[in-house]
Amino acid sequence: MRISTQSMFESGALRLGELQTSLVKTQQQIGTGRRILSPSDDPVAAARALEVNQSQSINTQYGRNRQYATNTLTTVEGTLSSVTGLLQDVRDIVVSATNGALTDTERAFQATALNSRLDELLGLANSRDAMGNYVFSGFQTGTSAFVKTSTGATYQGDAGQQLLQVEATRQMAVNNSGQSVFQGGGQDVFKTLTDLVTLLQTPGAPAPATLTTLMGDVDLALDNILTVRASVGSRLQELDSLNEFGEDRGLQYSQILSELQDLDYTQALTKLSQQQFTLEAAQRSFASISKLSLFNFI
Amino acid sequence: MASSILGIGQSALTAAQVGLNTAGHNIANAATPGYTRQVVVQGAAMAQDFGFGFLGQGAEISTVKRIYNEFLSTQVRSAQTSKSGVDIYYAQIRQIDNMLADPTSGLSPALQNFFSGIQEVASNPSLIPARQAALSSAESLVARFQGMANRLSEISDGVNSQIVSSVNEINTYAVQIAQLNDSIGRAQRATGQPPNDLLDQRDQLILDLGKEIKATVVKQGDGDYNVFIGNGQPLVVGTKTFTVFNISSPTNPEKIEVAYKNSNGSTVVVGEAGLVGGKLGGLVEFRSKTLEPAQNALGRIAIGLGSTFNAQHQLGYDLNGVAGKAFFNVPAPYVGPSANNTGTAVLGATISNVNALTTSDYQVSYDGTNFTVTRLSDNTSSVYASFPQTVDGVDISLTSGAAAAGDIFLIRPTAKGASGLSLAITDPADVAAASQTGAVGDNRNALLLGGLQTSKTLGNGTATYQGAFSQVVSQVGNKTRELELTSSASANLLSELTTSMQSESGVNLDEEATNLLRYQQAYQAAAKSMQIAGELFDMLLSIGR
Repeated sequence: MRISTQSMFESGALRLGELQTSLVKTQQQIGTGRRILSPSDDPVAAARALEVNQSQSINTQYGRNRQYATNTLTTVEGTLSSVTGLLQDVRDIVVSATNGALTDTERAFQATALNSRLDELLGLANSRDAMGNYVFSGFQTGTSAFVKTSTGATYQGDAGQQLLQVEATRQMAVNNSGQSVFQGGGQDVFKTLTDLVTLLQTPGAPAPATLTTLMGDVDLALDNILTVRASVGSRLQELDSLNEFGEDRGLQYSQILSELQDLDYTQALTKLSQQQFTLEAAQRSFASISKLSLFNFI
Repeated sequence: MASSILGIGQSALTAAQVGLNTAGHNIANAATPGYTRQVVVQGAAMAQDFGFGFLGQGAEISTVKRIYNEFLSTQVRSAQTSKSGVDIYYAQIRQIDNMLADPTSGLSPALQNFFSGIQEVASNPSLIPARQAALSSAESLVARFQGMANRLSEISDGVNSQIVSSVNEINTYAVQIAQLNDSIGRAQRATGQPPNDLLDQRDQLILDLGKEIKATVVKQGDGDYNVFIGNGQPLVVGTKTFTVFNISSPTNPEKIEVAYKNSNGSTVVVGEAGLVGGKLGGLVEFRSKTLEPAQNALGRIAIGLGSTFNAQHQLGYDLNGVAGKAFFNVPAPYVGPSANNTGTAVLGATISNVNALTTSDYQVSYDGTNFTVTRLSDNTSSVYASFPQTVDGVDISLTSGAAAAGDIFLIRPTAKGASGLSLAITDPADVAAASQTGAVGDNRNALLLGGLQTSKTLGNGTATYQGAFSQVVSQVGNKTRELELTSSASANLLSELTTSMQSESGVNLDEEATNLLRYQQAYQAAAKSMQIAGELFDMLLSIGR
């Protein structure tokens, strides 16, 4: 076939251009470590990577939410553990008050001790978290949970339960209303304590039946607190396992993202040297062929 | 006899000279675009009868012709036209592809940060810094939407200016082709010989015109080229040109269209169907098939997010116990009445159901009795006797006036969505995290707002915000890839066709070197025969001494 001189140069230049383009692309991939430089390189993987990225980000956010849940629940658990100890003290005092040999003065001491326990308990019930929110006020986190009255304490919060999204399909309650904690289970611990103080301040030995009833109320309060603590504990445990699950999932997402986007360096470097070799060969052959001309001999 | 030898020698000398000239001309133009090699057509001169037989009278040049294959040339032109169209489409779409390429600057991170911010509010509903952070991330999400919309509108401006320059080129070529029609006609009439170089120039101009738009050439009996573009719109007829020009689209002033003057003087817009191939065709196709859908798709995400988020936000209560306000300002659809409308009708469009929104634009036309609403992405029409009507989640109503037959309106429900989205609240306390009033620790509405991130609220319940964005990325990515392949395929086709045309018409320097040698020797031989004729004559003269 006849070939024009122009075609020879043009096709040579075209081929060299193509080889250079692919060489530069491989170089860019190696330079960035990314297999997909723009969505057109692999549209399916690029779109998929965006989805996985969102899942990863949501997963990370759930992790942060779990951190918040853990913090709040730990505060609740710490407070309730103090409450448990306090109620056990109260119980001890009440047991010793059943001793008929006590004088009015001694009972008055006990009443004073119980009164300070009552204030302490009120303080615990009005605990705040690190952000200054009252943890036992339901949704009324800016209002203290209880205010003292002559017959005990009045709940100022509401029954709201703050839920946190700790997993895609799990919303976890992170607070318990003060009412359910301190005034649930058929008792009102503040009333019980106030009644005890009043009883022990009253001169004369208290009726054993009244003491027994109040003692029963203290036990009910303790039971109630322990029930709440059990539920808090199991939520903390659940958070632990959700954390593991979340971290595991995060790893999987990272792995998928890496498979979708990241460059296989071995493959890329092999490709680069192949392309270099081809380009060099094309350059050499073009240079030597383009030198051939009849004009060199006439 | 001697004079005859001299005459023969002289004719051979002339022929060799013409041959050398032609070879030199070929060598000189080896790299001239559009040049076709020329060859000397030479024959034996009419022989003379001397009674004992015919004696040759030397050589004669009948013409110098160009080696030109009209069939291959047409094929090259058509391949060039489609390659130019694909190339410019590819160059434009790559800008969007690159914009979407960076995973850190796309819409996704801004969207994710925004919802993380909302989740933080859900975790700390009464905490002002958390609410402030949510507002800040909402601001950066809005800014990202606007930034991407701006980039797309820059690309759209670029398309407009390229359309203008392409139309200028077309008109320039038209004038030059008409001038060459004139020159070629006169040269041919005067000499009866083909003016090869002018013919090459005209063919090259036709090829260059084909880079701008698909052109059809009809060769006339007198050798003139009549050139038609689009749907048979004449551009050059003989020595007369018909210019095309740019106008703003009657229904959308931001859009530059191509138009020509009809024989009755009225302006006719060349529709997309009429602009096929070449840069102009590629630009127009890019605009309608990729750019506008991408703008609309991004706008749909913005409007979808804004509307669904507002709806949930307005169900809640803010930190002051006040019912939630709108969180975002969501832009309304664009309604463009045609500048050529004769009626007084003003159409209104509002979005009533974001879930049903498409990424298409709509055209409303009135024929005197009925309104036809056409979804432009697939040309599906619905006919209505009156408005209001709801089409794909958009309520179209007749705000005032009356339409006249032939009136046209363009409705772009989501085109301005991304550029027009803005934040409606600035006070962190206004974030409606609560589901009941007066409960600062209530985070239930914030949880529901956060849940919107993974709800399929768009495309008739098929896509999340992120999913709708992934669709854009995937569509643009796929189209770019397709064009990349088509572009390289059409480059190969063009290169092959050019090579076969060149193999016939192109200059080969080795061949011309051979020709130079051949004609040099022919010249030497002719000169020798004349020398011999001279010597013979001298011999005769010496007899007389």
